Amino acid sequence: MLVHLQGPWSPWFGRLTLGDIPYTNPVIIFAFLFTVVAGIALAVPVLYYRKLGYIFREWLCSVDHKKIGVMYIILGLVMMFRGFIDGMMIRTQQVTADGPHSPGFLSAQHGYLPPAHFDQIYSSHGTLMIIFAVGPILTGLGNIIVPLQIGARDMAFPRMNAISLWLSVSGAMLIMASLFIGDFSTAGWVGLIPLTELPYSPSVGVDYWMWALQISSIGTTLNAINIITTIIAMRAPGMRWDRLPIFTWTTLSTNIIGLTAFPILGVALALLGADRYLGTHFFTGGQGGNLMLYTDLFWIWGHPEVYFLVLPAFGIISEIIPTFSEKPLFGYTTMVAATFAIAGVAWAVWLHHFFTMGAGPWVNTFFSVATMLVGIPTGVKVFNWILTMYRGRITYTTPMLWSVSAILMLLIGGLTGIMLANPAINYTVHNSVFVIAHFHCMVLLIAFAIFAAIIYWFPKVFGFRLDEHSSKRFFIFFVLGTVTVFTAMFALGFMGETRRLDYLYDPQWLPLLIVEEIGIVFYCISVGYFFRMLYVSIRDRGRNQCGADPWGTARTLEFLTHSPVPFYNFAVTPHVNALDELAWRRANGHADTPPDHYEPVHMPNSSMIPVIIGVLSFGFGFGMVWRIWWMAGFSLLAIIALIILGSFMPDPGYTISPEEMREMEAQHRAPGIMADSHPPHPAAEERLV
Amino acid sequence: MTVWNSLERSKTLRLLRNKVVPAVLRKLPRAAWLPLLALSGCGNDFRLFHPVGQVAKAEWYSTLFVTGIILLIIIPTTVATVLFAWRYRKSRNASFDPTFTYSLPLELAMWGVPLIIVVILAISTYSSVFAVNPSDPGLLHGHGAAGAEPALQVDVITTDWQWLFIYPQLKIATIDTLVVPQGRTVRFALTSATVTNDFYIPQVAPMIDVMPGMRTQDAFRVNRTGDYEGFSADFSGAGFSWMQFSTRIVSPATFKSWVHETQASPQHMNYAEFLKIAQPKINKSATPAYFSDADPDLFNKVITAVERGLVFPVAMAMGNGK
Repeated sequence: MLVHLQGPWSPWFGRLTLGDIPYTNPVIIFAFLFTVVAGIALAVPVLYYRKLGYIFREWLCSVDHKKIGVMYIILGLVMMFRGFIDGMMIRTQQVTADGPHSPGFLSAQHGYLPPAHFDQIYSSHGTLMIIFAVGPILTGLGNIIVPLQIGARDMAFPRMNAISLWLSVSGAMLIMASLFIGDFSTAGWVGLIPLTELPYSPSVGVDYWMWALQISSIGTTLNAINIITTIIAMRAPGMRWDRLPIFTWTTLSTNIIGLTAFPILGVALALLGADRYLGTHFFTGGQGGNLMLYTDLFWIWGHPEVYFLVLPAFGIISEIIPTFSEKPLFGYTTMVAATFAIAGVAWAVWLHHFFTMGAGPWVNTFFSVATMLVGIPTGVKVFNWILTMYRGRITYTTPMLWSVSAILMLLIGGLTGIMLANPAINYTVHNSVFVIAHFHCMVLLIAFAIFAAIIYWFPKVFGFRLDEHSSKRFFIFFVLGTVTVFTAMFALGFMGETRRLDYLYDPQWLPLLIVEEIGIVFYCISVGYFFRMLYVSIRDRGRNQCGADPWGTARTLEFLTHSPVPFYNFAVTPHVNALDELAWRRANGHADTPPDHYEPVHMPNSSMIPVIIGVLSFGFGFGMVWRIWWMAGFSLLAIIALIILGSFMPDPGYTISPEEMREMEAQHRAPGIMADSHPPHPAAEERLV
Repeated sequence: MTVWNSLERSKTLRLLRNKVVPAVLRKLPRAAWLPLLALSGCGNDFRLFHPVGQVAKAEWYSTLFVTGIILLIIIPTTVATVLFAWRYRKSRNASFDPTFTYSLPLELAMWGVPLIIVVILAISTYSSVFAVNPSDPGLLHGHGAAGAEPALQVDVITTDWQWLFIYPQLKIATIDTLVVPQGRTVRFALTSATVTNDFYIPQVAPMIDVMPGMRTQDAFRVNRTGDYEGFSADFSGAGFSWMQFSTRIVSPATFKSWVHETQASPQHMNYAEFLKIAQPKINKSATPAYFSDADPDLFNKVITAVERGLVFPVAMAMGNGK
């Protein structure tokens, strides 16, 4: 071992001992039981209906961009649920641990969580919400929608697409494992340096955080390569750049950020890993290390990462507002320009995350002004949305309600963002909960857009609409919760409450902390309605079936094909005539014209390799975390071998003949991605690899 | 600096700053924050609304100025959003014009107006950054002129998880309590023996990071006495929530007698003693400690030692574990 480790180490089990399983902690036991019950609730129906083989063949091994997108979104929603539970626990701890006379429960002196446990919870809340909830959901949406919007049959690299998914899943599973085996990082989602160094974080927590991020960030980079290639190379004939739907534009810009920014995170984490595993001194306080280097590298990725998330959200809003205003998007060209302006400036603002680190006034001024510049294209976007609604004919379905609320959230987030961009103000509120409230406004605006998108595109993917009644209640309580929690939090920021406090010294904060807790109750109710929405919608799916365009006023190409989208997407590759192709076809009476002839369609085969790589990368991460070298080494070698093997086994794919296509199209509901009996295509090879 | 000076000289601005803003402020908090005040019970909880000292006041005026300027654009936009969202809903049968998708004047305005706002904000940022720059606030320039006492130097070292304040000119040191005289500039040099912290006294001093192996600076001057709470704002491990220090700004006479008292303390502070107190410790009640005969060079010695690799490892049971 090159570094000094606290605690025992053995060749077979590494640092892992029975004592690392926190079976004495009632909070963890409860979480464990909850997970087990949820797991059984999912597993029993699967086994009862003998769907295990179906799930494995048709989903886990699938290279279909829609199924991969759906799995990304399921992963994101599950992680968002866990992140929400974390958030609830944080709020509950703070409201019970305010002031020196606050009560203590379980093993805590104040509240019910001792510092080490509380710190893990806020760290996992941030990591989960940003990297494993919002990120995968947006990636999933891009996966599903972008190929459909540009008239492609799949992504450019279908198998690599599946690998991206399974790398993200394996990162998320590492974080789930940290809940029950060992512990998680206490150093925040940003990995506060040098707290993450071995002397100050001697347990495996930081390693879990580091490898989970590292593995999933490789997945994100691969996915970015895939989406960029797809958009550039696989557009349908006539889909000129000036006809590209706005969501595709934003996904393109976001993935350019993804491709260029995520490797920086990889480097920062690798250097930190060298410090923790090899005993180097890249980021330590002494021995020639420079901790500022890590902070810079992290935020050179971290700030573009924020725009990586917000740009697709802007794209979603830009799709939904025109649909429900029955008007084309106002100022399409300006919108695209504004998107790329935001993506460009994203690279020149990272230092505003640490104005207080002692940079000189000139440096701080530069980054302050650069940050304010972001406000200009963002403002342009808001004005364009408002002008799209102007003289429109607005229908308030839930996607539209979420979108309009997202604009209002953006205004609050923008106001506070510009305040924070001024170092003179930043010196007073940096690291206070004012900052927390600000960036929750921004991330929640992304969440608003995500919920809008899920409701908007759900019928496209599954063929039936989500229940509007419970979905409106979900919306109302979610917004109510957001307003309650974060208004109080902004106020607490002005009262001087700083972030990440396990115990709060000032009893005068209690009234507002109680207000926040009331907001959490609203959030809980909204989560209940979310589950009710899913339940009612699936129960009544027969009644809520919809045609190609479930909303009647959709404008873009994805609403041209059937709902649910058949596995081949379009029976014939559409020829694109205009920006807002579907609106153009509707206006010219071509929306329902069946194609006069079919052509052979070539489709890729499923593959087992991606999911196996996912399992192996979890093995690699777990082995590295616990320093079980044989496990990490074996997994890494196996991954490399599989990738080499996979590239020597080219996928010949299979072809759907025009006759078969005509037959499938004739059955009014083509086999969609949720159809129970996916007919095994005669030409599809039986072997999965 | 020049911009700040010309702003300083501007009559209108001076009037605004010295008369209008304070007058509005006196009235505003109670009126505008009434709903929140009702919840929180007491207006003084909003620490940042009651800055003391020139630097903190300038920061608060910046907050008001910037907020005011952005509201010029945020309020009309919010109103337009709500108004259009309400007015053009389908059931209302308002005028409908799907061809309205481009307008050059509007495009120019939507890029131009925010640009103008950003230019205004950029100028104000530029001047305010220099005025409150923690390492050398422009606002404290020129006041320590002839006759005035030289600045009081305080060296700050954070450990896991306590604050050590060293007064090198007076050869005294304290733990978790900061006592400074009113009306005199106090200059801080800050470093950490372990991990990064953030020095913060909400109403008084701008935030500044405290980092191992490095030296950052901060400064303030307050012309009235008072007690304030200071603490670390950047998470530093298990004892972070208890990393507070009381800040007492006292009259020069009180300060003098306090110094004498502390200089008589039986405990001494040198490098060997520092190594003892710097071991990980959560000072839950922020119990102060006082040291006489403090090594005036201790600050530099700690930086050098940390640069050479000195660490104070945290035991697994203390920092981690569930």
